[in-house]
Amino acid sequence: MAAVAALPDDVARVAPDLPLRANLSALDNIALIPLYQRHCSAAESVRLAQAMLERLGYADLSPLRDPDMTPAQRFATKLARALILRRPRLVIDHPGAMLYDVPYPAFIRQLAERAEMTGTWEIFDFGWNQALYRA
Amino acid sequence: MNFLAASIESLGAKVVGWFTVGYSMFAFLVQASLLLLEPATWNRATFDVVVKQVYFTAVQILHVFLGYAMVISWLFITIILSTARDFGLTEFASEMTIRVLVLELLPFLTALFVALRSGSAINTEVALMRVNNELDALAHCKVPPMQFEFLPRLIGGVVSVVTLAGLAGLLAILMGYLAIYGMNAAGFEPYTRTIAKIFDFRIMAGLIVKCALFGLAVTLIPVTAGLETPKKLFMVPVSVLRGMMRVFFAIVAIEVVSLALKYI
Repeated sequence: MAAVAALPDDVARVAPDLPLRANLSALDNIALIPLYQRHCSAAESVRLAQAMLERLGYADLSPLRDPDMTPAQRFATKLARALILRRPRLVIDHPGAMLYDVPYPAFIRQLAERAEMTGTWEIFDFGWNQALYRA
Repeated sequence: MNFLAASIESLGAKVVGWFTVGYSMFAFLVQASLLLLEPATWNRATFDVVVKQVYFTAVQILHVFLGYAMVISWLFITIILSTARDFGLTEFASEMTIRVLVLELLPFLTALFVALRSGSAINTEVALMRVNNELDALAHCKVPPMQFEFLPRLIGGVVSVVTLAGLAGLLAILMGYLAIYGMNAAGFEPYTRTIAKIFDFRIMAGLIVKCALFGLAVTLIPVTAGLETPKKLFMVPVSVLRGMMRVFFAIVAIEVVSLALKYI
Protein backbone atom coordinates (compact mmCIF):
# COMPACT_ATOMS: atom_id res chain seq x y z
CA MET A 1 0.00 0.00 0.00
CA ALA A 2 2.85 2.41 0.91
CA ALA A 3 4.54 1.72 -2.45
CA VAL A 4 1.34 2.65 -4.29
CA ALA A 5 0.86 5.83 -2.25
CA ALA A 6 4.43 6.87 -3.12
CA LEU A 7 3.80 6.74 -6.88
CA PRO A 8 4.91 9.81 -8.87
CA ASP A 9 2.66 12.71 -9.76
CA ASP A 10 2.00 11.55 -13.32
CA VAL A 11 -0.03 8.60 -12.04
CA ALA A 12 -3.80 8.75 -11.69
CA ARG A 13 -4.92 6.44 -8.89
CA VAL A 14 -8.20 4.71 -8.28
CA ALA A 15 -7.87 3.60 -4.69
CA PRO A 16 -9.91 2.85 -1.56
CA ASP A 17 -7.94 5.55 0.29
CA LEU A 18 -8.87 8.23 -2.27
CA PRO A 19 -12.62 8.59 -1.76
CA LEU A 20 -15.08 10.85 -3.55
CA ARG A 21 -16.17 14.11 -1.89
CA ALA A 22 -19.19 12.83 0.01
CA ASN A 23 -21.32 15.96 -0.30
CA LEU A 24 -20.82 16.34 -4.06
CA SER A 25 -22.62 14.42 -6.77
CA ALA A 26 -20.73 12.04 -9.05
CA LEU A 27 -20.85 14.67 -11.80
CA ASP A 28 -19.48 17.44 -9.54
CA ASN A 29 -16.70 15.17 -8.27
CA ILE A 30 -15.50 14.68 -11.84
CA ALA A 31 -16.23 18.24 -13.04
CA LEU A 32 -13.99 19.67 -10.31
CA ILE A 33 -10.90 18.59 -12.21
CA PRO A 34 -11.34 20.47 -15.51
CA LEU A 35 -12.72 23.38 -13.48
CA TYR A 36 -9.62 23.76 -11.29
CA GLN A 37 -6.86 22.21 -13.40
CA ARG A 38 -7.71 23.39 -16.87
CA HIS A 39 -9.67 26.47 -15.78
CA CYS A 40 -12.64 25.43 -17.92
CA SER A 41 -15.96 27.19 -17.37
CA ALA A 42 -18.50 25.51 -15.10
CA ALA A 43 -20.69 24.52 -18.07
CA GLU A 44 -17.76 23.08 -20.01
CA SER A 45 -16.53 21.14 -16.96
CA VAL A 46 -19.95 19.62 -16.42
CA ARG A 47 -20.15 18.71 -20.13
CA LEU A 48 -16.73 16.99 -20.01
CA ALA A 49 -17.65 15.14 -16.80
CA GLN A 50 -20.96 13.96 -18.26
CA ALA A 51 -19.20 12.82 -21.44
CA MET A 52 -16.73 10.80 -19.35
CA LEU A 53 -19.52 9.07 -17.44
CA GLU A 54 -21.32 8.35 -20.73
CA ARG A 55 -18.14 6.87 -22.17
CA LEU A 56 -17.98 4.44 -19.26
CA GLY A 57 -21.68 3.60 -19.63
CA TYR A 58 -22.69 5.26 -16.37
CA ALA A 59 -24.42 8.45 -17.52
CA ASP A 60 -27.26 7.89 -15.04
CA LEU A 61 -24.86 8.23 -12.09
CA SER A 62 -24.43 11.98 -12.39
CA PRO A 63 -26.84 13.13 -9.63
CA LEU A 64 -25.85 10.43 -7.12
CA ARG A 65 -23.69 11.15 -4.10
CA ASP A 66 -21.17 8.68 -2.69
CA PRO A 67 -23.41 7.14 0.02
CA ASP A 68 -26.18 6.50 -2.55
CA MET A 69 -23.92 4.52 -4.92
CA THR A 70 -23.26 0.80 -5.12
CA PRO A 71 -19.59 -0.21 -4.90
CA ALA A 72 -19.46 -0.72 -8.70
CA GLN A 73 -21.02 2.71 -9.34
CA ARG A 74 -18.58 4.31 -6.88
CA PHE A 75 -15.70 2.61 -8.65
CA ALA A 76 -16.91 3.83 -12.05
CA THR A 77 -17.08 7.40 -10.71
CA LYS A 78 -13.58 7.16 -9.23
CA LEU A 79 -12.37 5.77 -12.54
CA ALA A 80 -14.00 8.63 -14.47
CA ARG A 81 -12.33 11.09 -12.08
CA ALA A 82 -8.96 9.41 -12.66
CA LEU A 83 -9.44 9.33 -16.46
CA ILE A 84 -10.36 13.01 -16.66
CA LEU A 85 -7.02 13.79 -15.00
CA ARG A 86 -5.44 12.74 -18.35
CA ARG A 87 -2.31 11.29 -16.78
CA PRO A 88 -0.18 8.81 -18.74
CA ARG A 89 -0.48 6.02 -16.14
CA LEU A 90 -3.56 4.79 -14.36
CA VAL A 91 -3.16 2.61 -11.28
CA ILE A 92 -6.06 0.69 -9.84
CA ASP A 93 -5.10 -0.01 -6.27
CA HIS A 94 -6.61 -3.04 -4.50
CA PRO A 95 -9.75 -3.34 -6.65
CA GLY A 96 -11.07 -6.10 -4.40
CA ALA A 97 -11.49 -3.57 -1.59
CA MET A 98 -13.67 -1.39 -3.84
CA LEU A 99 -15.48 -3.90 -6.05
CA TYR A 100 -16.95 -6.43 -3.67
CA ASP A 101 -20.32 -6.59 -5.46
CA VAL A 102 -19.12 -7.63 -8.96
CA PRO A 103 -16.62 -10.13 -10.42
CA TYR A 104 -14.00 -7.47 -10.68
CA PRO A 105 -11.38 -8.48 -13.22
CA ALA A 106 -14.13 -8.86 -15.85
CA PHE A 107 -15.78 -5.64 -14.74
CA ILE A 108 -12.55 -3.65 -15.02
CA ARG A 109 -11.83 -5.21 -18.45
CA GLN A 110 -15.27 -4.16 -19.62
CA LEU A 111 -14.74 -0.57 -18.41
CA ALA A 112 -11.29 -0.46 -20.02
CA GLU A 113 -12.79 -1.44 -23.37
CA ARG A 114 -15.38 1.33 -23.08
CA ALA A 115 -12.92 3.97 -21.92
CA GLU A 116 -10.81 3.73 -25.11
CA MET A 117 -7.98 5.26 -23.19
CA THR A 118 -4.44 5.79 -24.33
CA GLY A 119 -1.67 5.11 -21.82
CA THR A 120 -1.33 2.17 -19.46
CA TRP A 121 -3.62 0.75 -16.83
CA GLU A 122 -1.96 -1.11 -13.96
CA ILE A 123 -3.66 -3.09 -11.27
CA PHE A 124 -2.03 -3.50 -7.86
CA ASP A 125 -3.64 -6.42 -6.06
CA PHE A 126 -2.76 -9.06 -3.50
CA GLY A 127 -0.70 -11.96 -4.85
CA TRP A 128 -3.32 -14.50 -3.82
CA ASN A 129 -5.82 -12.88 -6.22
CA GLN A 130 -3.65 -13.63 -9.28
CA ALA A 131 -5.80 -16.58 -10.22
CA LEU A 132 -8.77 -14.25 -10.76
CA TYR A 133 -6.97 -12.44 -13.60
CA ARG A 134 -6.08 -15.63 -15.48
CA ALA A 135 -9.73 -16.50 -16.06
CA MET B 1 6.18 17.18 45.60
CA ASN B 2 5.08 14.75 42.90
CA PHE B 3 1.67 16.36 42.87
CA LEU B 4 3.21 19.81 42.39
CA ALA B 5 5.44 18.59 39.56
CA ALA B 6 2.48 16.87 37.87
CA SER B 7 0.36 20.04 38.21
CA ILE B 8 3.10 22.23 36.71
CA GLU B 9 3.62 19.70 33.93
CA SER B 10 -0.10 19.58 33.16
CA LEU B 11 -0.36 23.39 33.20
CA GLY B 12 2.68 23.64 30.93
CA ALA B 13 1.19 21.11 28.50
CA LYS B 14 -2.05 23.10 28.43
CA VAL B 15 -0.24 26.40 27.76
CA VAL B 16 1.82 24.78 24.99
CA GLY B 17 -1.41 23.31 23.58
CA TRP B 18 -3.08 26.76 23.52
CA PHE B 19 -0.06 28.28 21.80
CA THR B 20 0.00 25.48 19.25
CA VAL B 21 -3.70 25.96 18.50
CA GLY B 22 -3.26 29.74 18.31
CA TYR B 23 -0.25 29.40 16.03
CA SER B 24 -1.99 26.93 13.70
CA MET B 25 -4.97 29.30 13.40
CA PHE B 26 -2.70 32.25 12.73
CA ALA B 27 -0.66 30.30 10.16
CA PHE B 28 -3.88 29.20 8.44
CA LEU B 29 -5.18 32.77 8.37
CA VAL B 30 -1.90 34.06 6.90
CA GLN B 31 -1.99 31.32 4.24
CA ALA B 32 -5.61 32.19 3.39
CA SER B 33 -4.83 35.92 3.26
CA LEU B 34 -1.86 35.37 0.95
CA LEU B 35 -4.01 33.22 -1.31
CA LEU B 36 -6.62 36.00 -1.37
CA LEU B 37 -4.02 38.35 -2.80
CA GLU B 38 -3.14 35.99 -5.66
CA PRO B 39 -5.04 36.85 -8.84
CA ALA B 40 -5.21 33.14 -9.77
CA THR B 41 -7.47 32.53 -6.75
CA TRP B 42 -10.16 34.72 -8.19
CA ASN B 43 -11.34 32.36 -10.88
CA ARG B 44 -14.91 31.47 -11.76
CA ALA B 45 -14.77 28.21 -9.77
CA THR B 46 -13.81 29.87 -6.46
CA PHE B 47 -16.34 32.65 -7.04
CA ASP B 48 -19.12 30.07 -7.59
CA VAL B 49 -18.23 28.27 -4.35
CA VAL B 50 -18.18 31.60 -2.44
CA VAL B 51 -21.66 32.43 -3.79
CA LYS B 52 -22.88 28.97 -2.76
CA GLN B 53 -21.44 29.45 0.74
CA VAL B 54 -23.10 32.86 1.16
CA TYR B 55 -26.37 31.30 0.00
CA PHE B 56 -26.16 28.43 2.52
CA THR B 57 -24.94 30.62 5.39
CA ALA B 58 -27.06 33.74 4.96
CA VAL B 59 -29.78 33.57 2.29
CA GLN B 60 -31.20 30.17 3.19
CA ILE B 61 -31.84 31.24 6.82
CA LEU B 62 -32.82 34.84 6.10
CA HIS B 63 -36.54 34.54 6.94
CA VAL B 64 -35.88 32.64 10.19
CA PHE B 65 -33.11 35.04 11.14
CA LEU B 66 -35.18 38.17 10.46
CA GLY B 67 -38.08 36.73 12.47
CA TYR B 68 -35.71 36.02 15.37
CA ALA B 69 -34.12 39.48 15.11
CA MET B 70 -37.59 41.07 15.05
CA VAL B 71 -38.72 39.28 18.23
CA ILE B 72 -35.49 40.05 20.12
CA SER B 73 -35.54 43.70 18.95
CA TRP B 74 -39.18 44.15 19.88
CA LEU B 75 -38.55 42.71 23.36
CA PHE B 76 -35.53 44.90 24.04
CA ILE B 77 -37.12 48.04 22.62
CA THR B 78 -40.16 47.47 24.87
CA ILE B 79 -37.95 46.94 27.94
CA ILE B 80 -35.80 50.02 27.17
CA LEU B 81 -38.82 52.23 26.47
CA SER B 82 -40.73 51.25 29.59
CA THR B 83 -37.60 51.63 31.78
CA ALA B 84 -36.85 55.03 30.20
CA ARG B 85 -40.44 56.15 30.87
CA ASP B 86 -40.26 54.97 34.49
CA PHE B 87 -37.10 56.99 35.09
CA GLY B 88 -38.20 60.00 33.05
CA LEU B 89 -35.46 59.50 30.47
CA THR B 90 -37.66 59.18 27.38
CA GLU B 91 -35.47 61.55 25.34
CA PHE B 92 -32.59 59.07 25.61
CA ALA B 93 -34.68 56.04 24.64
CA SER B 94 -33.90 56.14 20.91
CA GLU B 95 -30.15 56.51 21.47
CA MET B 96 -30.17 53.76 24.10
CA THR B 97 -32.13 51.45 21.78
CA ILE B 98 -29.69 51.93 18.90
CA ARG B 99 -26.59 51.59 21.06
CA VAL B 100 -27.72 48.45 22.86
CA LEU B 101 -29.36 46.68 19.93
CA VAL B 102 -27.60 47.76 16.74
CA LEU B 103 -24.06 48.18 18.05
CA GLU B 104 -23.85 45.37 20.60
CA LEU B 105 -26.60 42.82 20.98
CA LEU B 106 -27.63 42.08 17.38
CA PRO B 107 -24.08 41.57 15.98
CA PHE B 108 -23.32 39.30 18.96
CA LEU B 109 -26.50 37.26 18.51
CA THR B 110 -25.92 37.09 14.74
CA ALA B 111 -22.46 35.63 15.34
CA LEU B 112 -23.91 33.08 17.77
CA PHE B 113 -26.69 32.21 15.30
CA VAL B 114 -24.24 31.65 12.42
CA ALA B 115 -21.82 29.78 14.70
CA LEU B 116 -24.49 27.36 15.88
CA ARG B 117 -25.91 26.80 12.42
CA SER B 118 -22.93 26.99 10.05
CA GLY B 119 -19.87 26.87 12.32
CA SER B 120 -20.80 23.50 13.79
CA ALA B 121 -21.62 22.14 10.31
CA ILE B 122 -18.28 23.38 8.93
CA ASN B 123 -16.38 21.82 11.86
CA THR B 124 -18.12 18.47 11.38
CA GLU B 125 -17.68 18.47 7.62
CA VAL B 126 -13.97 19.35 7.71
CA ALA B 127 -13.34 16.77 10.45
CA LEU B 128 -15.14 14.09 8.39
CA MET B 129 -13.25 15.13 5.25
CA ARG B 130 -9.99 14.69 7.12
CA VAL B 131 -10.95 11.37 8.71
CA ASN B 132 -12.24 9.97 5.39
CA ASN B 133 -9.12 11.06 3.44
CA GLU B 134 -11.20 13.31 1.18
CA LEU B 135 -8.62 16.09 1.48
CA ASP B 136 -5.88 13.70 0.32
CA ALA B 137 -8.07 12.69 -2.62
CA LEU B 138 -8.50 16.34 -3.61
CA ALA B 139 -4.76 16.89 -3.31
CA HIS B 140 -4.14 13.82 -5.52
CA CYS B 141 -6.40 15.37 -8.17
CA LYS B 142 -4.52 18.68 -7.79
CA VAL B 143 -7.67 20.47 -6.64
CA PRO B 144 -6.38 22.84 -3.93
CA PRO B 145 -8.47 22.26 -0.77
CA MET B 146 -7.69 25.76 0.52
CA GLN B 147 -9.09 27.36 -2.62
CA PHE B 148 -11.99 24.96 -3.11
CA GLU B 149 -13.06 24.13 0.45
CA PHE B 150 -11.71 26.58 3.03
CA LEU B 151 -11.29 30.04 1.55
CA PRO B 152 -14.90 30.20 0.26
CA ARG B 153 -16.12 29.26 3.74
CA LEU B 154 -14.07 32.03 5.36
CA ILE B 155 -15.29 34.64 2.84
CA GLY B 156 -18.85 33.32 3.08
CA GLY B 157 -18.76 33.56 6.91
CA VAL B 158 -17.47 37.13 6.93
CA VAL B 159 -19.91 38.32 4.23
CA SER B 160 -22.83 36.54 5.92
CA VAL B 161 -22.25 37.86 9.45
CA VAL B 162 -21.66 41.42 8.22
CA THR B 163 -24.79 41.46 6.04
CA LEU B 164 -27.04 39.62 8.52
CA ALA B 165 -25.97 41.92 11.36
CA GLY B 166 -26.51 44.91 9.06
CA LEU B 167 -30.01 43.76 8.11
CA ALA B 168 -30.91 43.01 11.72
CA GLY B 169 -29.63 46.49 12.68
CA LEU B 170 -31.75 48.17 10.01
CA LEU B 171 -34.78 46.21 11.17
CA ALA B 172 -34.13 47.25 14.79
CA ILE B 173 -33.78 50.91 13.77
CA LEU B 174 -37.11 50.72 11.93
CA MET B 175 -38.81 48.96 14.85
CA GLY B 176 -37.32 51.47 17.28
CA TYR B 177 -38.83 54.32 15.28
CA LEU B 178 -42.24 52.65 15.13
CA ALA B 179 -42.17 51.90 18.87
CA ILE B 180 -41.18 55.47 19.85
CA TYR B 181 -43.06 57.60 17.29
CA GLY B 182 -45.60 55.18 15.79
CA MET B 183 -46.77 55.60 12.18
CA ASN B 184 -45.98 59.27 12.34
CA ALA B 185 -43.46 61.14 10.18
CA ALA B 186 -42.99 63.84 12.85
CA GLY B 187 -40.23 61.92 14.60
CA PHE B 188 -38.20 61.37 11.44
CA GLU B 189 -35.98 64.41 11.84
CA PRO B 190 -34.95 63.92 15.53
CA TYR B 191 -34.61 60.18 15.03
CA THR B 192 -32.33 60.47 12.00
CA ARG B 193 -30.32 63.14 13.83
CA THR B 194 -29.77 60.70 16.73
CA ILE B 195 -28.69 58.00 14.26
CA ALA B 196 -26.25 60.37 12.58
CA LYS B 197 -24.85 61.39 15.97
CA ILE B 198 -24.20 57.78 16.98
CA PHE B 199 -22.88 56.45 13.68
CA ASP B 200 -19.78 58.53 13.17
CA PHE B 201 -16.95 57.09 11.08
CA ARG B 202 -15.14 55.52 14.06
CA ILE B 203 -18.24 53.69 15.34
CA MET B 204 -19.24 52.56 11.84
CA ALA B 205 -15.74 51.23 11.07
CA GLY B 206 -15.58 49.56 14.49
CA LEU B 207 -18.94 47.87 13.91
CA ILE B 208 -17.91 46.55 10.48
CA VAL B 209 -14.55 45.31 11.79
CA LYS B 210 -16.25 43.64 14.76
CA CYS B 211 -18.77 41.86 12.52
CA ALA B 212 -15.99 40.80 10.15
CA LEU B 213 -14.00 39.37 13.08
CA PHE B 214 -17.13 37.55 14.28
CA GLY B 215 -17.54 36.11 10.77
CA LEU B 216 -13.93 35.03 10.71
CA ALA B 217 -14.19 33.45 14.17
CA VAL B 218 -17.27 31.38 13.28
CA THR B 219 -15.57 29.91 10.20
CA LEU B 220 -11.80 29.96 10.77
CA ILE B 221 -11.94 28.25 14.18
CA PRO B 222 -14.22 25.39 13.03
CA VAL B 223 -12.08 24.81 9.91
CA THR B 224 -8.81 24.64 11.90
CA ALA B 225 -10.44 22.50 14.62
CA GLY B 226 -11.66 20.11 11.89
CA LEU B 227 -8.19 19.94 10.36
CA GLU B 228 -6.66 19.06 13.75
CA THR B 229 -8.89 15.98 14.09
CA PRO B 230 -6.91 12.73 14.37
CA LYS B 231 -7.86 10.23 11.66
CA LYS B 232 -10.28 8.36 13.87
CA LEU B 233 -14.04 8.54 13.37
CA PHE B 234 -14.82 8.64 17.11
CA MET B 235 -12.75 11.86 17.40
CA VAL B 236 -15.18 13.84 15.19
CA PRO B 237 -17.61 14.76 18.04
CA VAL B 238 -14.62 15.71 20.23
CA SER B 239 -13.32 17.96 17.45
CA VAL B 240 -16.72 19.67 17.10
CA LEU B 241 -16.99 20.13 20.86
CA ARG B 242 -13.51 21.71 21.05
CA GLY B 243 -14.11 23.85 17.99
CA MET B 244 -17.44 25.21 19.22
CA MET B 245 -16.06 25.99 22.67
CA ARG B 246 -13.24 27.95 21.01
CA VAL B 247 -15.76 29.78 18.81
CA PHE B 248 -17.79 30.75 21.88
CA PHE B 249 -14.75 32.08 23.73
CA ALA B 250 -13.55 33.94 20.63
CA ILE B 251 -16.96 35.61 20.13
CA VAL B 252 -17.10 36.66 23.79
CA ALA B 253 -13.48 37.93 23.65
CA ILE B 254 -14.20 40.01 20.51
CA GLU B 255 -17.30 41.51 22.16
CA VAL B 256 -15.46 42.28 25.42
CA VAL B 257 -12.53 43.92 23.61
CA SER B 258 -14.92 45.94 21.44
CA LEU B 259 -16.85 47.15 24.52
CA ALA B 260 -13.62 47.99 26.33
CA LEU B 261 -12.31 49.98 23.35
CA LYS B 262 -15.57 51.88 23.03
CA TYR B 263 -16.47 52.65 26.62
CA ILE B 264 -13.35 52.43 28.80
